[in-house]
Amino acid sequence: MWRQAYLRLRSLFRRHRQENELDEEIRFHLVNETEELMAAGMSPEEARAAAQRDFGNVPLIRELTRETWGWGAAERLCQDARSAGRMMRRNPGYTCAVVVTLALGIGLNAAMYGLLSRLFLQAPPHIQDPDGVHRVYVRQLSSFNGQISTANRMEWSEFTALRADNARFAAVAGATNPRPMPYGRGQAAENLHVSWVTGEFFALLGVRPELGRLIGPEDDALAATPVAVIGDGYARRRFGRVPEALGATVGFNDVTYVIVGVLPPGFSGPDPSAADVWLPLRIAAPASHGDDWGRVLGGFSLMPFVRLAPGVTTQAAGATATAAVRAARADSPFPEDVHDREATALLGPLLRTRGPSEIAGDLRLSLIVGGVSLVVLLVAAANVTNLLLLRVTARRRELAVRNALGAGRWAVGRLLVIESVLLAALSGGAALAVAAGAGRVLRVTLLPRYNWAGGPVDIPVMAFTGAAVLLVGLAAALAPALYAARARGLDRLDGLRGVRAGSPVRNGLIVVQAALSIVLLVGGALFLRSFEAARRVDIGYAKENLLTVYLAVGGLRSRTPLDETAVQTMETRVRAMPGVVEVAQATSTPLSSRMVIPLRVDELDDLPFGEGPYVSFVTPGFLQVAGLGIRDGRGFAEGDRAGAPRVAVVNTAFARQTWPGNRAIGRCLFVGRDAAPCATVVGVVETPLERGLGGGPTASQSGRGPSSDAADIPQYYLPLAQAASDAATSGTALSQRTLVVRTHGNPERMVRPVLLALAEVFPDLPRRNVQSLPAALAPQLRTWRIGTALFGAAALLALLLAAVGLYAVVAFGVRQREVEFGIRRALGAQSWHLMRLVMARGVGIVGVGVAAGALAALSAGRFVAPLLFEGRSPRDPVAFAAAALVLLAVALAASFLPARRAALADPRQALQAE
Amino acid sequence: MRTLLYGPSHGHAIAKHIQRVSENALQIETGSLYPALHKLEGRGWIAAEWKKSDKGKRARYYRLTPAGRERLTAQQSRWEALSVAMARVLRPAE
Repeated sequence: MWRQAYLRLRSLFRRHRQENELDEEIRFHLVNETEELMAAGMSPEEARAAAQRDFGNVPLIRELTRETWGWGAAERLCQDARSAGRMMRRNPGYTCAVVVTLALGIGLNAAMYGLLSRLFLQAPPHIQDPDGVHRVYVRQLSSFNGQISTANRMEWSEFTALRADNARFAAVAGATNPRPMPYGRGQAAENLHVSWVTGEFFALLGVRPELGRLIGPEDDALAATPVAVIGDGYARRRFGRVPEALGATVGFNDVTYVIVGVLPPGFSGPDPSAADVWLPLRIAAPASHGDDWGRVLGGFSLMPFVRLAPGVTTQAAGATATAAVRAARADSPFPEDVHDREATALLGPLLRTRGPSEIAGDLRLSLIVGGVSLVVLLVAAANVTNLLLLRVTARRRELAVRNALGAGRWAVGRLLVIESVLLAALSGGAALAVAAGAGRVLRVTLLPRYNWAGGPVDIPVMAFTGAAVLLVGLAAALAPALYAARARGLDRLDGLRGVRAGSPVRNGLIVVQAALSIVLLVGGALFLRSFEAARRVDIGYAKENLLTVYLAVGGLRSRTPLDETAVQTMETRVRAMPGVVEVAQATSTPLSSRMVIPLRVDELDDLPFGEGPYVSFVTPGFLQVAGLGIRDGRGFAEGDRAGAPRVAVVNTAFARQTWPGNRAIGRCLFVGRDAAPCATVVGVVETPLERGLGGGPTASQSGRGPSSDAADIPQYYLPLAQAASDAATSGTALSQRTLVVRTHGNPERMVRPVLLALAEVFPDLPRRNVQSLPAALAPQLRTWRIGTALFGAAALLALLLAAVGLYAVVAFGVRQREVEFGIRRALGAQSWHLMRLVMARGVGIVGVGVAAGALAALSAGRFVAPLLFEGRSPRDPVAFAAAALVLLAVALAASFLPARRAALADPRQALQAE
Repeated sequence: MRTLLYGPSHGHAIAKHIQRVSENALQIETGSLYPALHKLEGRGWIAAEWKKSDKGKRARYYRLTPAGRERLTAQQSRWEALSVAMARVLRPAE
């Protein structure tokens, strides 16, 4: 036993010497034998040959002997690995193609897996016993669009009713979704994401502060000293060192909060979207919404979180919550149809993505991207399998030789599997690098507001990569290994001639690749069409050439009159800039009008409006500068000044809703309280899409397209000059001002010069007060832009892979049929005829894939449907046709080169070869 | 292995011996002797060393180890028992 181990060990170390010895031993045998035969009377040549014949196959014997030295399995493995490594070095192109393909496919999926597992699987960090925290959802009929929806928020009155039930809940807390609030002045101004929380919030989550203390019930009272808690990220950004944050202040809505605590790094609250600052609700809400903050309809809503009392089931708690919500709604001062009084409440898990409300917007997009990356992986795996198959086919001769030299079916299969595993391992390393890069990009593009603690490659991602590498590597190797195991025996040694050109497996793989490419191409085309449609929408304003400069220092609630001289200076300076066509003033910023003042119209006691009507006091040039077309009557003129007869212009939505079927010109608007004078309507202008394209795809999902009534916001315009002389309206008019600038070409180019002027004339104003309309609209186009980009990138990748795969298959087929083509030529076939033959084959295979892919895309369309612009159909024939054309063109291109080779086949050579 | 009972010998001599003893009935390639020899060496039943052959060349001489001798005896008796049994089974058919 020991001796055996010793011998084995020795054989390992003395490997080389042992081999030499074996060679010498065999040589000795042969020489001896030859000598003996010569002594028996043979000639030296005869003797040598006879000795050889008698001995048998020298290399085989040597091999068999070596095998008896032990270390068989391990040694074979090393040997195979060495051979595989040699093979990879010898074919760098092939190795590269396989590794890059697998790395992209697996890396992209690993990154997506990391992202999705954070969103859908892992509880937010720093929360104690996250499974014990429940969200309360309200399922109700929307008065807005008549659809049943499930919200994760409720109104304050409903929340207080919920909290009043002490028996079933161990704790109840509420928080608002973080929303951006302006903080700071001048160049230092920024938007901080602020969440208002009730006093129980942090205690319920069980989070511990990194430093200081958190907001408690005693802080959440109107009379309490205003305190704030900030996130680790904001603390580092603003103070550099976290401890310096304690005792500093932040201010919102004229309230100054003292920072008393900093949250641990990575904490983002119950949702992954990060807040910078947390404020006590009972101080922040009145400061923002006024004293009746709890009773304002649509004022704000908060997300309720509960922990159940011991022994209470979620069903029982849901019933309690339902009763509370209904009781609160029964007492509601608002009309009955505003709130569904039959609403039901239900409890859901802390992870909102696992809750009962629909997944919309960015999250849905993330899921779709996950699906897309899976498709890319499938394409990659198909491609790698195909490459391996081709490789094996090309190596038939080599494998047959190995076989003839005594390598069994197993040995050949093992070699191939090891080659694949080695390739897969190499790809796995590259995939991790891809995952790190792609993960970062995906996080920023898909969910920019999320607080991602840690890098994109964590342990689950690595585990995923490892599993994927193993699975894909083995799966991709299986077919070639089986195939190679079949190709045994000397009968294959005669080479490639006469081998059938196409294999059903290879063609099938190309069909699969083509089909998956079609799915991705259709997706990309659908998003691109949505993007283009959304971009082309005429929003009323001259969106390509407008720049707005908001000049009010105190924000929308300001009642402080502006320095009119400074406004005038600013307007003059901007007008003088090259590239500026004209400048006008208005008291509302296009796309964000919200100014409402008392208005009475003779014919109607109550105006029938939903949203609005919004007012804007404007200088005479405004309508023209903004690009609002006049539909009836006239616009404003220089003559509409103080002292002249009062005039007004309304938009078509205003006119249609107030005087349906009648002409608006000549009607009276009574603006202001009580004894307001009549302002005669002198003109009607087109109605702009004041909210742009609406809330993006989320809005269109609930049936709110920009073309529906909801976006048809009534507005009216009054001359700024006449408002200034009027006590009732001057307060509002003179505290708000926006310069509306019409530019030549892209307004984005004017942002810098305007900012420089602004910094001199209004040094206190934040930079973000200057905005071009394209920039303002960009966030609304975001989903479609990202969708187009992601699908486009994935489709491009898939196309490339499919093209490479097709090229390889067609080229290989041509090489195998070279003789046939030569004969055809010799028999008089024209070269274009041969090319057609080859290309028809390539395009034919892909054609099958196109058909299959189109079917798959038709059924997969419903996943993207909610994200398309204005409920566009996912069965858009243009998108399908475009996708098919692109793929067929690629197929033509991919088979062109091999086809040319076929056309140039030399008949003489072919015939000689036979 | 039995060849080695008479003293150490090298591969070629062993091959010749087997051919002689079996009266060429075993028509095997002589080369296949070497894997067998090395296997036996690996199991510790025979040992090998380099010596000058009778013609003055270096040759690898194999000799039986005590363990090999034991094994050979055991195998041989088993083989003989088997051939006796076989002979008995086959005789009535003759």
